[in-house]
Amino acid sequence: MKTLIDVFTVALPLLYFSTVWAYAKAFFKDSAAAKRTKTPLLLATLAVHLSYLLLRSAFFNHPPITTIFEIMSIIAFSIGAAYAVIEFQTKVKNTGYFILILAFIFQTISSFFIENLSEVKPVLRSSLLGIHVSSALLGYAAIAISAVYGFLYLMLYHHIKSSRFGVIYTKLPNLETLEKMSILSIIFGFSFLTVAIAVGLIWLPRAFDHFSYFDPKLIGTVFIWAMYGAGLGAKKTIGWQGRKIMILSIIAFAVSFFSLTIINVYFSAFHKFY
Amino acid sequence: MNLIAVGINHRTAPLEVREKLWMSSDEIRKAVADLKGRPFSECFIVSTCNRTELYGMYNSSEGDSENPPDVDDLKDRLIAFKSAGSSVHREHLYHMVSSNAIRHLFKVASGIDSMVIGDIQILSQIKDDFNLASEEKATGPFLHRLLQSTYHVGKRTRTETTITEGAVSVSYAAVELASKIFSDLSKKTALLIGAGETGELTAKHLNGRGIGGLFVANRTRSKADDLVAALGGKAVEFDALQQMLAHVDIVVSSVTSDHYVITKTDVQRAMKERSHKPLFMIDIGVPRNIDPAANNIENVFLHDMDGISAIIDGNLQKRRSEIPRVNEIVLEELTEFTNWFNSLQVNPTIHDLRTHFEQVRQEEVEKNINRFSAEDRELLDLVTRRIVNKLLHLPTTNLKNGNEESDEEKHKKLHIVRSLFGLHKEQMPKE
Repeated sequence: MKTLIDVFTVALPLLYFSTVWAYAKAFFKDSAAAKRTKTPLLLATLAVHLSYLLLRSAFFNHPPITTIFEIMSIIAFSIGAAYAVIEFQTKVKNTGYFILILAFIFQTISSFFIENLSEVKPVLRSSLLGIHVSSALLGYAAIAISAVYGFLYLMLYHHIKSSRFGVIYTKLPNLETLEKMSILSIIFGFSFLTVAIAVGLIWLPRAFDHFSYFDPKLIGTVFIWAMYGAGLGAKKTIGWQGRKIMILSIIAFAVSFFSLTIINVYFSAFHKFY
Repeated sequence: MNLIAVGINHRTAPLEVREKLWMSSDEIRKAVADLKGRPFSECFIVSTCNRTELYGMYNSSEGDSENPPDVDDLKDRLIAFKSAGSSVHREHLYHMVSSNAIRHLFKVASGIDSMVIGDIQILSQIKDDFNLASEEKATGPFLHRLLQSTYHVGKRTRTETTITEGAVSVSYAAVELASKIFSDLSKKTALLIGAGETGELTAKHLNGRGIGGLFVANRTRSKADDLVAALGGKAVEFDALQQMLAHVDIVVSSVTSDHYVITKTDVQRAMKERSHKPLFMIDIGVPRNIDPAANNIENVFLHDMDGISAIIDGNLQKRRSEIPRVNEIVLEELTEFTNWFNSLQVNPTIHDLRTHFEQVRQEEVEKNINRFSAEDRELLDLVTRRIVNKLLHLPTTNLKNGNEESDEEKHKKLHIVRSLFGLHKEQMPKE
């Protein structure tokens, strides 16, 4: 099993690279072969990736969330999986390049530096923790994707406004669809963060003696969750749309990203495992 | 190949000349009936606003018509048929023979000979006009096979290249642009300001894409009513168009006016009222109808003729870059058609027939050779060879002596022999 894990560690960046390459060829070069193979290639990559994560969990006897590089692999998988769901839901198949390149970068870094640890703190062996971390990461992956679609929206918006009718204009889906994809990602992200917070609130007090509701990471996540919730509510009630809401989705992601980074580096107390 | 094409198109004559040779369905019927038999064994005519072309297969076996018919005479007949001698001259018409004529027809069908590159509406016109000739019994196996290949060229061009993609007219480009902003036009409504030709065409295309609602505002109310009667939708007062901005998603304006019909303030007010939902406006009026500054308002997309022209130019350039690929398809289909035609010649057919029989003979001899003693084996070879020769003698002679038959009959006979014995299936016409 160890050999298989090692093979997958090397194979995954290559698989992500091929997938990103196929999506790029389909977008920029209109290659018919790439258009046919890109989605099956993505699904195959995700299947290998899922097997890899399960194998690691089984062989090392803990969910792969004990080091930053294990987490990165889960982030890569979350981005890929969240994108696959969005592609399936919206039937828009030509924006994968812009999203999956993130998964490729995360998995490559992970594969280079990942260590095979069998000895970890007992608290990290819980499967509830696995659900908590996975849904949190899926949530963050989804809001990252929403920011990418927000960014693509703004690019196309300005290209149309200024009568530039190049590749961006030709190949991207229409503005309404990009907006819909971005909003859909936010809804996914918000749902997963809800699960992560709920599971966290059930599990954390039981797992840690010195648990505190004032933990910075907990406060940060709840803040991000509330911000997206309020945004979705505002869209529903006030009817915000178009450029404004796309800018908000990018700002919200930037705020989430920086707050989490700062909290992780400077503040986290019990909520830090590596 | 005894094929001749004579015609006139946008390259050889201006519109006022080509329109003189344009033929209605009835005229096409009359003309092909007239040309069938003398000088052609098969013929058909294609006539559109950009071209009128006659394709004819002449019969080399009929007495003095061993030589091709006189091209000038054909041109004169076409001109005389339309009594257009005063404005159309021989110099306006071109002619092509044999594979050049076929290549030309294939190019026409692929859209690279069209006035607007990639416009292959012509394909259905070729089919319709060919049917007229068929109904007059002016077409035969050669032209039927040629039409099949022509259709194949058109189909391959559409599926294997992108020469037909991208809008190249103002009205289509406007609708294409709208589709880049909105995902479902059936949930959107449009306002047409002015009942001019381009505006009307745009409205027609929007209707074709299933626009959810259409409003028409025109200074002369009766014109708006007429347009609404033709296209559906609702006519609104010209003075009310500023109020309408809050309720529609697409605006197409094409009126003649020396001041802006819609100002930036009008749009600002409307955007507030419509909660800043995206508004797409196309201004095809000259001078412009909508204040260009309106484009600075958030979620407003305003484009004038310059923007639309940029789309059209880009698309035309893309279409032009596909021409080499289309030429490849034309060449491939031409080669295949020529192969088919050659396979219907007498000598290759006799050769294929003999090869086929000889193959069967050899296989059977080899299979059974061990049943014969060594001294009888040579005899076996000799006897079977004689049987085959005798069996093939009469068919060979009959095929060779078909000189007095017309090309049409000869082709039919060769076609039957080939399909009966399954000779060179790869060269047979596709079903």
